[in-house]
Amino acid sequence: MTKITVNGREIDADPKKPLIAACHENGIDVPMYCYHPGLRPVGSCRICQVEVKQGDAPARVVASCRTPVAEGMIVNTDSPKAHDVRRECLEFLLKNHPLDCPICDKAGECDLQDYSFAEGQTKGRTHEPRRKLEKRKSLGDVIVLDEERCILCSRCVRFFEDVTKKPQLTVADLGSRSVISTFLDKPLKGNYQGNIADICPVGALTLKRFRFQARVWNLSKHLSTCAECSRGCSVTAEVLRGGDTKRFRPRFNPKVNQWWMCDTGRFAFAHVNAADRAVALRRTADGLEACDLDAALSAAASALRGKSNVAVVLSPFATNEEAAAAKALAARLGAKTCFVSPAPNALKDDFLHTGDPCPNRRGLTDLGFAGLAAAEVAGAIAGAGAVVLAGERVVELLGAERVAALTGTRVVLFDTHCVDAAALDACIGVPVHVEKDGHWTNVEGHLGRLTIARGAPRGVRALDENLKRLSELVSPAGAKA
Amino acid sequence: MKSFERYLLNRTTLANSETLAVYKANGGYKALEKVLKKPMTPAEIIAEMKASNLRGRGGAGFPCGMKWSFMPDPAKDPRPRYLAVNADESEPGTCKDRVLMEKDPHGLIEGCLIAAYAMRLQAVYIYVRGEYRKSYDTLLAAIAEARKAGLVGKNVMGTDFSCDVWMHKGAGAYICGEETGLMESLEGKRGHPRPKPPFPAGFGLWGKPTTVNNVETIFNVPFIVERGGAWFSSIGTQNSKGNFLCGISGHVNKPGVYELPFGVTAREIVDEVAGGIWKGRKCKAWFPGGSSCALLRGEDLDVVLDHDSLKTKGSSLGTAAMIVMDDTTSMARVMEIIARFYDHESCGQCSQCREGTQWLAQIFHRIATGHGKPDDVATLESLAKGMAPGKTICALADAAAIPTLSAVRIFKTELEECIRQAKDPLAPPRVEYAGAH
Repeated sequence: MTKITVNGREIDADPKKPLIAACHENGIDVPMYCYHPGLRPVGSCRICQVEVKQGDAPARVVASCRTPVAEGMIVNTDSPKAHDVRRECLEFLLKNHPLDCPICDKAGECDLQDYSFAEGQTKGRTHEPRRKLEKRKSLGDVIVLDEERCILCSRCVRFFEDVTKKPQLTVADLGSRSVISTFLDKPLKGNYQGNIADICPVGALTLKRFRFQARVWNLSKHLSTCAECSRGCSVTAEVLRGGDTKRFRPRFNPKVNQWWMCDTGRFAFAHVNAADRAVALRRTADGLEACDLDAALSAAASALRGKSNVAVVLSPFATNEEAAAAKALAARLGAKTCFVSPAPNALKDDFLHTGDPCPNRRGLTDLGFAGLAAAEVAGAIAGAGAVVLAGERVVELLGAERVAALTGTRVVLFDTHCVDAAALDACIGVPVHVEKDGHWTNVEGHLGRLTIARGAPRGVRALDENLKRLSELVSPAGAKA
Repeated sequence: MKSFERYLLNRTTLANSETLAVYKANGGYKALEKVLKKPMTPAEIIAEMKASNLRGRGGAGFPCGMKWSFMPDPAKDPRPRYLAVNADESEPGTCKDRVLMEKDPHGLIEGCLIAAYAMRLQAVYIYVRGEYRKSYDTLLAAIAEARKAGLVGKNVMGTDFSCDVWMHKGAGAYICGEETGLMESLEGKRGHPRPKPPFPAGFGLWGKPTTVNNVETIFNVPFIVERGGAWFSSIGTQNSKGNFLCGISGHVNKPGVYELPFGVTAREIVDEVAGGIWKGRKCKAWFPGGSSCALLRGEDLDVVLDHDSLKTKGSSLGTAAMIVMDDTTSMARVMEIIARFYDHESCGQCSQCREGTQWLAQIFHRIATGHGKPDDVATLESLAKGMAPGKTICALADAAAIPTLSAVRIFKTELEECIRQAKDPLAPPRVEYAGAH
């Protein structure tokens, strides 16, 4: 570690990282546009300039993203000179930047806007009209480029060069005519395009799926984990006014996904936003009818009580907590256990996506659940006295037709949606993964946390809680022989 | 003006001066022979270069011998190493290297080989400005001729020294004349200058130790080797040694490229060498060394044209490419053209340069066309100060800011008058170019 002094405070800096990283890691704010901790620094935006004094040389203003730390370096991020050069730089950056913040998706989380608010001048000195360029240039299925808003930080260019190692973007033309472009205007390819919208410091690159969907200050952001594969990327789930999840964005996790995530995970909100959620249903003489939770749980308990050869089948989305509760229930029932293991998909790549669409395979396996393909599960439960199917999307993954085809057995279902099956005695709603607390264990054994980003539909309780209550109903504690 | 010995341009006036036969008949490849056959050690050559005090002729004036000595010791650093010769001469006013390449290509090749020997490297790249087709073709033919004669390639002159010289043609970007931009371009990338450090001597072409020298600098090398560093440093003024090529253009009777020793005054050059200001007019302003130097007034012509003297006048020698303007010249128009050049040529990486050069060009255009705003001169000054010095990756922003600051300082009244009258009283007939603002 190298000792440097920043704003009068002595700090330990990692000699392998540039000065700006040392400042950020010690809570000292230095603005940045082209610098990103996950990308090779280029030192082109010049907004990170700070005053540095080394040895007897007079203090100089340097770009902190391209300045290595050196023992005894004295840094001032706050000197009048440092503020002046950054203010000048900001004025240049804003010279051609359009004033369309009111309709810009980035407004509210825009680095340029934030820093203009903090340090910008109140009056512009330009008289010429701003640069006229393409406002909505499609870069493929995921991204739209607004050339006028672009400040040419080249983060997006370097993302494809440094991170996915498949260069796709470049800066075309020279000087004030520069624009970001793909080769011959070909569309972007790959499963990681969305990241460039995250790292774009302005509203130049926006997601087609998120464009004009929400003002970002109306989104509440919650810690979560991606459900799309066993990598379990750390994400934030961003929910519009307690309703729909509008986007998933990667959350920095040095052990799992750094700053990135794939587009499959980023746009995986069809399921979490699905309507017509099941709450509680039980079978009566007239068929399935809605009831309250207690009634549904009693119906479930009656279906299971006294049955031999019971099976408990979990969804691959079950959390470790839910799996523990299911395991306890299975013990009470003397039931065998397994989880539905979806087949690997073709999304596997050499970066993040594992191709295994089962976010908690490791956790469930560690708890003793065997992963079986849907057809194998169907075979295993065919002759069972009763079956508990538990967890979000369990029916979908098992195949609704397989559940509907079950005969000679009674089924208790915990899922987001009910299924029309003659064998079904009770259906109890479960929260989706953005509606619950819990943990998934990723492919490498790292725990990914889920938190409640929004409330589950009225009447829907946590699955582990319901499984515990069901255990009690089926066979009260101490009553078991 | 005192008489002096010419050595740089002597061969250029001969018939077929670009051929190996003429070059050899006039003392060519003697210096290389001396280096290889005597033999001289690389350290001895570098010592001669240091003794000569030759300063780079590409604009920055960095001592050449010192630059060479920055190259790491091959015993400690066995990586391949390169010499890149900067022939991307494209600053407005500068046209000296072209003469050497078109008329005396073997002089450059010999210099390259000696430099390669001194820095113990085997590959030299000559990066020629894309528009210099004749220079490129002449050099290419000369290299082929030299290769055939065993002067370039494996076992030069039958010794165990091997060195190849390769040509690369630029695509027309001024920024590729910046040494790190040149290296990026040579590597096949966009000519975006790299931040320094790391410096080229440690991390240059393809990440290997590299020296970048100007054509005229390298061209001086055989003469220094042959006649000694002491001879070279006996010519010139205290910190500017040797003869230099002065490309004089603008409102003079005999514009051209002239060889002169350091120590002559600008007035001597204008009056005695270039035949005086045309049409009997007076000199209003002049650039001493290309458009990125600070403008000087006509009264300043008595300054000696060397590094130190021009510095005391607030300008610099640059490439010693004088641009002389007579007293009918509109400074608003001059600066409009120069600012437009830098706007066109900025690589676009650094915010200040990308936006600043455009902004300067817009304001000068406004003033020159009679649409200036009252605060424009003040804005120009603060913009130029916001762009430089040393606030960007390379010096292009400085190159745009320096003439602007000098124009605002020296010709403030003229610019303000253009704004006040809402027209430029000295405006020449306008010729609009494609791409003009």
